[in-house]
Amino acid sequence: MAHLAVSDVRAKYGSLEVLKGISFSIEKGEIAALVGPSGSGKSTVLRALMGLTPITEGSVEIASERMNYSSAKEVRAARDRMAIVFQAYNLFQNMTVMQNLTLAPLKIKKWPKAEVEAEARRLLGLVGLSDKADAYSDQLSGGQQQRVALARGLALKPQILLLDEVTSALDPELVGEVLDAIGKLAAEGMTMVIVSHEMGFVREVADKVVFMDAGQIVESGAPAEIFDAPKTDRARDFFSKVLRH
Amino acid sequence: MNYRFQFGVVWDNFHELLEGAWLTFQLGVFAFAGGALIGLFCAAVKTYAPRPFRFIVDAYVVFITNTPALIQIYFLYFGLPEVGLRWSNEACLLIGLTLNAGAYLTLILRAGFISARITEIEAGQTLGMSLLQQVRYIIVPHIAKAVYPALANFFIVVLVMGTSVGALIGVDELTGQAINLSSVNYRWLEYFTVVAGMYVVLTFIASIGLALLGQWAFRVKARIF
Repeated sequence: MAHLAVSDVRAKYGSLEVLKGISFSIEKGEIAALVGPSGSGKSTVLRALMGLTPITEGSVEIASERMNYSSAKEVRAARDRMAIVFQAYNLFQNMTVMQNLTLAPLKIKKWPKAEVEAEARRLLGLVGLSDKADAYSDQLSGGQQQRVALARGLALKPQILLLDEVTSALDPELVGEVLDAIGKLAAEGMTMVIVSHEMGFVREVADKVVFMDAGQIVESGAPAEIFDAPKTDRARDFFSKVLRH
Repeated sequence: MNYRFQFGVVWDNFHELLEGAWLTFQLGVFAFAGGALIGLFCAAVKTYAPRPFRFIVDAYVVFITNTPALIQIYFLYFGLPEVGLRWSNEACLLIGLTLNAGAYLTLILRAGFISARITEIEAGQTLGMSLLQQVRYIIVPHIAKAVYPALANFFIVVLVMGTSVGALIGVDELTGQAINLSSVNYRWLEYFTVVAGMYVVLTFIASIGLALLGQWAFRVKARIF
């Protein structure tokens, strides 16, 4: 039984259909990577899963439970089970690192304070930022901010973590530290859907690669199949360009 | 010029000036706080509400910001009793200043709403925040920080320029007290020299207080001098 099953999901921005029937599934502990050219709808898939972009048709199931995106209240079930990390970090600028991590568990979930803070410290240790608990986001580098965002996503103990081009806004030197942190999560058995342009990293961590173009899935499969022996011309053309670097 | 300064009479009545200064301070704080609530509400309406509501807010702001505060307060104090609405002079001053501040603060806070980052709001949504929680934890702190310097400056304007209008309808705030006392003993020059100094001290205290508050609450790096 698939842990996350996305079936024929469609989404529109106004009259423009940006997802034209997306279907894929992953097992618990697996990592799926969405790759493809800009504007192909990769990020929109993640936004739709989180209820930020409305789904017009199709279904999303997590552990056999169908998610309801019909209202702000219903969508909380999906947001309870998944967390998203954005390309631009989107940290709360008026709060410290610790407050960024603990706000939702304390104020929204009402979990006990001591437990929440201990977990936050553990997560900061995991992403290598134990000494930055009291810093504000404008005192951190891009890579550090992105690692805080990663820890913030994990603080609500999601079943599935969605990563939206989390290294695209970073200096090349800082990409490594964020990928290291994600690698650790993968080793811990976190189920993830990642959108990434870091093909070397995708090949290393992903169990499944989904290649998208123009709002549709062109082909999907194990990294070795997709990267080394793509079946479609569109995928072959794309990978011949990105893998050359 | 052979004027002889006689400050003795000022010091004899200094406690009355202090009472006036205290009233000035209270009027400034309440008018500003009330105005801030009106401004927050109107700025939210201008940002999120449909056109007819935005139009009502626009009309209020245009009317208030394009007429003198004195006219607005005279309207309340001398105008409204003609139709049977009679309030005390202090109430008229406070209501007038609050409505006046509300219009200017709508403009200031509106800038904060426009600058609130959609990305942080989306992050809050995905963490499961309700609309009210988004406003409380993301939007209001953001606005407060973005427009804090402008808010602090405007508080000084209300405190000094706004409240002193009260003297013209007989409110015994600092300017009013100075006029009352000097009309008794004709020491205008001495009284107003001292009162000018008191206003400076008052705004200086308010500036330091606001700067410290801003640093503590919003990490705004304000320069006091």
